[in-house]
Amino acid sequence: MRSVVLTKGVPDFREGKVSFDEDGHLERGKTPTVMNPNDKVALRAALQTKVRHGGTVSLTSMGPPGYKEILVEGMRDVYADDLYLFSDREMGAADTWATAMTIATGIEHMDEEPDLVFAGFKTADGETGHTGPQTNWCLNINENFSDYPLITHVIAIDVDEDEETVRVKRLVEGDLSEIETVEADLPAFIVTDPEFEASYRKAEHRLRYKDLREETTARAEDAEDDVTVWNHEDLNLDPDFIGLDGSPTIVSGVDPIEKGEGARDATELTPEDDDAMEQVFDEMVGFAGGD
Amino acid sequence: MPEFDPTEFEIADLGPKINGVDDVDDLQEMLELEEDGEDRPPVKTLIESRIEDLEADDEEVDPETVDLTDLTIADIANMVRDVDDVDVLEDLLEREEMGKDRKGAKTQIENRIEAVTGGDDEDAEEVEYVPPEEKYPDLSHPTADKQYVEAVSGETYRDMWVYCETQHGELIDVSKEMLAKARQLVDDCNDEYGGDEDGNPEDVVAVLIGDDVADLAEEAIAYGADRVVYHEDERLARFRHKPYTEIMCHMERDWDADWRDYHEPRYNIFPATDNGRDLSALVQGELDSGLASDCSDLYIENAMISNPAKTGTPGDSKEFERILHMPRPDFSGFEYSTILCIDKPHRDFHPQGASVIPGTFELPEPDGDREGEVEEHDIDLPEDWFMTEVTDHDTLDSGVDLTGRDVIVALGRGIGRDPTEGIELGLDLVDAFEDADLGLSRGVITASYQFGGHVEQYVTEERQIGESGQEVEPPLYIAAGISGAVQHTVGMEDAETVISINTDADADIKDYSDYYIQGDLFEVLPRLTEALEQGGLAAAVQEASDD
Repeated sequence: MRSVVLTKGVPDFREGKVSFDEDGHLERGKTPTVMNPNDKVALRAALQTKVRHGGTVSLTSMGPPGYKEILVEGMRDVYADDLYLFSDREMGAADTWATAMTIATGIEHMDEEPDLVFAGFKTADGETGHTGPQTNWCLNINENFSDYPLITHVIAIDVDEDEETVRVKRLVEGDLSEIETVEADLPAFIVTDPEFEASYRKAEHRLRYKDLREETTARAEDAEDDVTVWNHEDLNLDPDFIGLDGSPTIVSGVDPIEKGEGARDATELTPEDDDAMEQVFDEMVGFAGGD
Repeated sequence: MPEFDPTEFEIADLGPKINGVDDVDDLQEMLELEEDGEDRPPVKTLIESRIEDLEADDEEVDPETVDLTDLTIADIANMVRDVDDVDVLEDLLEREEMGKDRKGAKTQIENRIEAVTGGDDEDAEEVEYVPPEEKYPDLSHPTADKQYVEAVSGETYRDMWVYCETQHGELIDVSKEMLAKARQLVDDCNDEYGGDEDGNPEDVVAVLIGDDVADLAEEAIAYGADRVVYHEDERLARFRHKPYTEIMCHMERDWDADWRDYHEPRYNIFPATDNGRDLSALVQGELDSGLASDCSDLYIENAMISNPAKTGTPGDSKEFERILHMPRPDFSGFEYSTILCIDKPHRDFHPQGASVIPGTFELPEPDGDREGEVEEHDIDLPEDWFMTEVTDHDTLDSGVDLTGRDVIVALGRGIGRDPTEGIELGLDLVDAFEDADLGLSRGVITASYQFGGHVEQYVTEERQIGESGQEVEPPLYIAAGISGAVQHTVGMEDAETVISINTDADADIKDYSDYYIQGDLFEVLPRLTEALEQGGLAAAVQEASDD
């Protein structure tokens, strides 16, 4: 099984890591960049395939040269056999359409067609959830390339190597939440849901998992020099169709979320103040359970 | 006496009559007659809104004398739209700078100045089209070869199309919300721009795809559609990416229907549900256009753009008409971005696409008297579109819905000292209420705490309150160990009574609280639980003795 995984670097949004300027705008320069958490989920799905069926896992990203570190982070924290970065000034400031165009062309440029392409759900910065599906669409429009059925919101995957099929469970939320079982032929394009869990039921899988994890962590030490970097010329990409110039959309304004005016004048108290606490109890008691 | 007495007419006849009256005093008298007579709420609304419209017209401000500090930024935007005199505009800009000096207000005025002065440049050279072979001779132009770039220019676009998602044979709520919003946007646009290029009002077109969806067409009309196009097939009973995408694109671009005399829709609106978001990405990709996902508002106005990717020439500004403005929270709920989908020279980006967060717009009342057209879309669906097969499906117990509860007990990173115990104490308090549930701040979910197995199931995004989670307004909200970042407070600020517990004497949440207990939640929560159990008991005893 040959898997290709899409990832992106995003600001580290965990509390204490994010930095804002005086106007409340996010300071990208001062906030560390990490691998998009949802993409780690996708990478874990690819690792599960490798553990169960062997093969290779290629991790790809589009971004500035510094994103090599993001790829290495993926190799170290989850798994990867090799790393690809699509990097070029012409690719900058791309929206999802132009990003999908670049990534799909990058995948097509690899030596071998993948059996499975994995993408995560939303990125923590753009949060569109579009890049996976649009990359699938871009791959499918290329007539020299296989048509990949798209399966999104995947929470569990089983590949049948002999039948060359994949069977997944997908979680769909609407007014009602539903779980679907979906089957498709390989090759296929999988977008994992944040709720995806890798599953290693057999002892041999758990052992192989452990070995692969140790091996990839060690390999990641000096992997940064081995990242394959392709620019738009390598990929034969017309600059009018990638980056800012190829993007249908632009961002016209970024505003900090307005701080609501604190309209309330709180009664301040401490737990030692029994009378005041009594007032608080009074507010609650009307909602008490009856039994 | 006014022109006529509304109580003598049926509601259906009154709309045009009332809108024909231009005298506010007359209308006031009619309102009184109606109130004293039939007192029908829809009639009163009709008259009142007519009065409002007339008064708004009267209030037209004189840009040369108006006191800018009295106007909101939106008022200023509306006002400057009609000003063509650069001197007046520059004077306005100066007065704003001397007064409140609001960045937004200045941008509006500056944009208008650019629009007015930039008008001369329109005669300047059009950006010349250079074929990619000449522009980039070293490349072999895969993008142009592949069919996926439609790259049309100067085509015709009209109408707002709305993809109406269904589940179990019914329109889901967000479909109704979108239709009502689309109705309002298109009506406003028709007023503002006088309809399409030929002066005909543009329409709201609802798209229904599935098995047995024709029956929903009337409902879609009642919620605001002028026209419903539907495609039925039993293989479409459940959402499938490929056939749904192909059908919708065919309806919008390739369908040869006599009423659809334009290249593609002007706008495409989708629900930001799991399936709706996927469909939006695929349809907009295939139509060679762009979109913004998870929008929290939509509005249409002209946009002054200086981005050379769109104008073709650095340094130029160009005004684009009827641009759908799509504000959306991003950066994990830390910021709002406004996204625009804009044509570039020699390549149109239409339809302008958006998906909207369910619940963003109000769930409307249907209007059974509305009329519209219903069209069946009937093409053969090739077997190879059905690349995936849904072999089984189950409806889950409805996820965690924190809205509608009497009480929400919300926990923040104050539980960090012992996260498992923190959750336990929160759950104990939840249990002591009649109708309560547990909420969490985003901080708890992203903190990578190690939780004991029995409470782990409670720590999911489903319970997150705030910008990227649920917004709740319960009668009672208890915030324990929550600092009160804006991302959180937008999700709870409408709660009726807020009790906060925080060790910090001055956490931001204080401004959103009615009671602020400065103390340790590990100590305070059990006390509240205990008091409630006793109080509840006392109340129960009281009630029993009353009987």
